[in-house]
Amino acid sequence: MKLLRLTGIVLLSAPLYAQNPGYQPDPGWRVPSEAASRPNPLGSKPETAAGGRKLFIRNCVECHGKDGSGMEKKHSADLQLPIVQQQSDGALFWKITNGNLSRGMPSFSKRPELQRWQIVLYLRTLKSATMP
Amino acid sequence: MRLFFVPAFFLLTLWSRVCTAQESPFFVTYTHHMEEPGNLEIETWSTTGIPRNGQRFYFAPYMELEYGVTARWTSELYLESQSALGDSTVFTGWRLENRFRPLKREHRINPVLYLEYENVNEASRIQREIEGGGPDLTSRNALLTSEHAHELEGKLILSSNYHDWNISENFIITKSFSESEAVEFGYAFGAARPLARLASGENCRFCKENFSLGAEMYGGLGSTLDLTAQHTAHYLAPVISWAVGENSTLRFSPGFGLTHQSNPVLLRFGYSYEIQGFGSRVSRLFGRKP
Repeated sequence: MKLLRLTGIVLLSAPLYAQNPGYQPDPGWRVPSEAASRPNPLGSKPETAAGGRKLFIRNCVECHGKDGSGMEKKHSADLQLPIVQQQSDGALFWKITNGNLSRGMPSFSKRPELQRWQIVLYLRTLKSATMP
Repeated sequence: MRLFFVPAFFLLTLWSRVCTAQESPFFVTYTHHMEEPGNLEIETWSTTGIPRNGQRFYFAPYMELEYGVTARWTSELYLESQSALGDSTVFTGWRLENRFRPLKREHRINPVLYLEYENVNEASRIQREIEGGGPDLTSRNALLTSEHAHELEGKLILSSNYHDWNISENFIITKSFSESEAVEFGYAFGAARPLARLASGENCRFCKENFSLGAEMYGGLGSTLDLTAQHTAHYLAPVISWAVGENSTLRFSPGFGLTHQSNPVLLRFGYSYEIQGFGSRVSRLFGRKP
């Protein structure tokens, strides 16, 4: 019984352990204002977020987790946090494109531009899954 | 069609056991895209030379382990061999290379510095790059393996993304530790792009987004003793890559020799498999914080 209870506690606390709720953004990772103001060219095509989900799984899950909540051990951002979600589409696109190389976030400029916008579109659905 | 693919897959997997990801389709030209930090890419490649008169048919397989040390530093180890028809099969040596990306952000032109130590013999035919006049394609392996080359190779890699095209230029300089040998030069240029700009929502093997097409050109530029592009090997090669799975990629390139010092045709195959989070897994194995 004790073992069962312990297993239950471990299983329930696992997602919390994986998350990175204490994520603090790098103040040096600044997006140029011109880039931040770029609108998402796929903004009127929400159906393309499905492709973004696939790209997210292939490229981002390793560090940000399946639900995008980040990983404390990897110091990766919790993408559900308002501090991330409040950033403009252009800012997120710029960060995916350039990465933050000195902090371990690689550049994904090898992906075609529209695919990077698809990832931005998918990131917005992470917010709606957890936030009211 | 299936009759062709089944034995091809079987041979590739049998030969390589594990193999990488949807990366650049180039075989020779490097881009500024680095391996993701902590990921290990296991790659098996081969170069097959179709001979001219006086040359031998050869097959040169090689294996590459590529590790993303940091987001700006990628390290690779190569093990290579060669088999010539009517001659012998020989281990031709190893190489250790490092690529560094000095700039933090994406620019119009992104430089990468490349430094490689080569401990190979003159029978090496993988032609991962061509410097000087190119490899000796006529002598026998017994003679070539007795000549060892300890070389340092540097490359300046310049790479740009333009409208989903990647356009890259590599400038190569090689110096043997042997004092008698001159400094040799080479080059490689390439341009490639994915077939589709948007990713479909389905998990499909044959979607256009899984394919990249392009072309590269590479060759030797002689040495400090004879700086020339005339009596050296040069190739023009279309390239194609296919991301067959989430972590594995197949590549193919038929290269066409442009000079008499080149093989008329070089056929290149590559299969690679990327292990994500390899560094973290190893760290966990030793009880360390990844």
